[in-house]
Amino acid sequence: MDMLPTDEQEEIVSSVSSFLSAELPIPKVRAMFTAGSSIDRDVWSKCAGLGWFGLGLSEAAGGVGYGLAEEALLFREIGRHLAPGPFLSTLLAARVATAAGLGDLAQALLEGEKVAGLGLPVDDAEVGAQLSGTFDLYDTAGADVVLVSDSDGAALVDVQALGPRPDEECIDPAVKLSQVSLHGLAPLAYVPETQEPVFLRGTVLTAAGLTGIAERARDMAAEHGRTRIQFGKPIGVHQAIKHACTEMAVRAEAASCQLFYAAMSVDADRPDAAYQCEAAKLVAIEAAYKNSRSNVQVHGGMGYTWEHDSHLLVKRAHVFSRMFGDRKYQAGQLISLGPVQ
Amino acid sequence: MNLDVSASDAAFREEVRTWINENGPTEPRPRDSKAMREFDLAWQRKQWEGGWAGIDWPVEYGGRGLSLLQQVIWYEEYAKLGLPGIDSRFVGNSHAGPTLISRATEAHKSFHLPKILRGEVVWCQGFSEPEAGSDLASLQTSAVIDGDHLVVNGQKLWTSFAAVADWQELLVRTDRDAPKHRGITWVICDMHSPGIEVRPIDTIDGGHEFNEVFYDEVRIPLSNVVGDINDGWSVAMSTLSFERGTAFTLNQMLLSEAIEQLIKLVKDNGGIDDVEVSRALAGARAEVAALRAMTYAGVSRNAVRPEPGPEGSMLKLYFADLGQRIYRLAVDILDSDGMRVQPPGRFGEKDWVGDYLMSYSFSIGGGTSEIMKNIIGERVLGLPR
Repeated sequence: MDMLPTDEQEEIVSSVSSFLSAELPIPKVRAMFTAGSSIDRDVWSKCAGLGWFGLGLSEAAGGVGYGLAEEALLFREIGRHLAPGPFLSTLLAARVATAAGLGDLAQALLEGEKVAGLGLPVDDAEVGAQLSGTFDLYDTAGADVVLVSDSDGAALVDVQALGPRPDEECIDPAVKLSQVSLHGLAPLAYVPETQEPVFLRGTVLTAAGLTGIAERARDMAAEHGRTRIQFGKPIGVHQAIKHACTEMAVRAEAASCQLFYAAMSVDADRPDAAYQCEAAKLVAIEAAYKNSRSNVQVHGGMGYTWEHDSHLLVKRAHVFSRMFGDRKYQAGQLISLGPVQ
Repeated sequence: MNLDVSASDAAFREEVRTWINENGPTEPRPRDSKAMREFDLAWQRKQWEGGWAGIDWPVEYGGRGLSLLQQVIWYEEYAKLGLPGIDSRFVGNSHAGPTLISRATEAHKSFHLPKILRGEVVWCQGFSEPEAGSDLASLQTSAVIDGDHLVVNGQKLWTSFAAVADWQELLVRTDRDAPKHRGITWVICDMHSPGIEVRPIDTIDGGHEFNEVFYDEVRIPLSNVVGDINDGWSVAMSTLSFERGTAFTLNQMLLSEAIEQLIKLVKDNGGIDDVEVSRALAGARAEVAALRAMTYAGVSRNAVRPEPGPEGSMLKLYFADLGQRIYRLAVDILDSDGMRVQPPGRFGEKDWVGDYLMSYSFSIGGGTSEIMKNIIGERVLGLPR
């Protein structure tokens, strides 16, 4: 057992981080708030070229051949950099297309030619051989297909088959949100969770995004604590600030350790994998929510302005926490399971 | 990163499980300090005889020379049976012992370490003083060199098991003129020396393990100094890094068992349908999982860097806060039984009320959570002092 990243894994983190800093810096991210789509096709093909969408798929399937742990490293950086766009649904869609034998679609997704938005059921909407009920759609503007997933399985649908998708304003300005009602729509493919644990992987990767947000909030607050001068001293000398930052560091550390433990449990196909994944999401939700809130507080008046980036972390945390289950759902799942042996 | 369990670790776990099941104590642990000492040492001796003492200690001092991971596996299996904390054996096994291994001379190591493992001696800690709590370096208990001895005068406080201890890791001031961190010496004190007086202090749960210790012209051979005269602060810091890092492993595992017992209790009595209780238990279960993952991360770091770093302080902070919330939740769930003090039960029967009361110590003993937060804020986040 080794919980520390290998040199190769460290390399993934630094390459993703420098790519996102260069290609999707915050001013560019902010400019996309008013664009019609959250997908920058130019950046998207570069991401595909780096192998992001097939990171955890076997080489035989056209992927890179890493595991969920490496995908979690990728999504922690995507969360940290507040990168907009349906990265998660595209990566999962490539997996579903592969499992369903839709080779051409899988290849187009892996190569960045096609993009998959995300659809998640509202209330008791049905995902299966037919899709019925109400679905929240994330970042489907400019996408080609939509990955629809619940805890029993995942479907792919053509975006055109969904009909009109009127834009709604999302709490997170980076997310293009809409909602549709479906009545027995037949998907392009449906893969049950027992065949390919898409919902579980989605749970871990949203936990990864949340962990990245928790870490970014910690770093922003600590930076402000070191540099903001009041009463003639950096505010970080005061324990009210220092301890708030420390609590953020502890929450981020806990979220990160549990995230990778969960991801590796899935990779190793351990019997407690679901337990570890639900726990990872719960801990990451708390870390992202509390850290992003605390970061606003440490920044004072600036913290709740539109101009400052603090609110972007709060908003992304809120949206991520509701993907692939939410706090209530994950708590219910975790408590229903038996103890880890 | 990987969770691979080597065949030898898997076999080791099986072996541990079988042995503890067959040999773990089943009688109630006495509350009287002297009887408790005998009970704890008997259990330590049994572990020694079975080859389970000092799992990650070097072979030359009686240990097994195995990995920290294997020591953690031992603690995990131990905690699963509801066996209690290592209490009076804590300082010897997890605190003074590792410090001696890391900093003492061969003579000290070969004299003291086997005695600890064989269950012949109890150690205690002499760090805090009435005027040196969080500000440990301002300690005033003095030691003056007289020939080949140190002569010690002063007072220590919060010394668990001092009344039944044979040896003490003692911090004394050997230079009053030097800056406060540079005039301290770490010395091994024989608790049977003339001039030592131990007075008990009862704790929040009615326990009698706590004491204050007075030193009146106590003579300690200079050869008992670990490290150099006036270099005791650096020795103490390595002691504390053990206390805040790996030494808490068993407590973490016991907390993991506590939450599982609590969930079982609530499921058995049908209380799990209460949404508030169920959410709180789920949240605690998730955080305990994270605590375990943090422990494993500590084990992994230990493999590349033997002395625990400031991450150990994060683990202690997380443990303290989580542990207090879990025991609070437990006495809430117990309803009216949550106000009833329980008599000592069989090993394995949880004393929720006593554990709840002692959970107040989690954020104080071994360094307060406030001091831990200063350490992390300054050393990890680079915030100004």
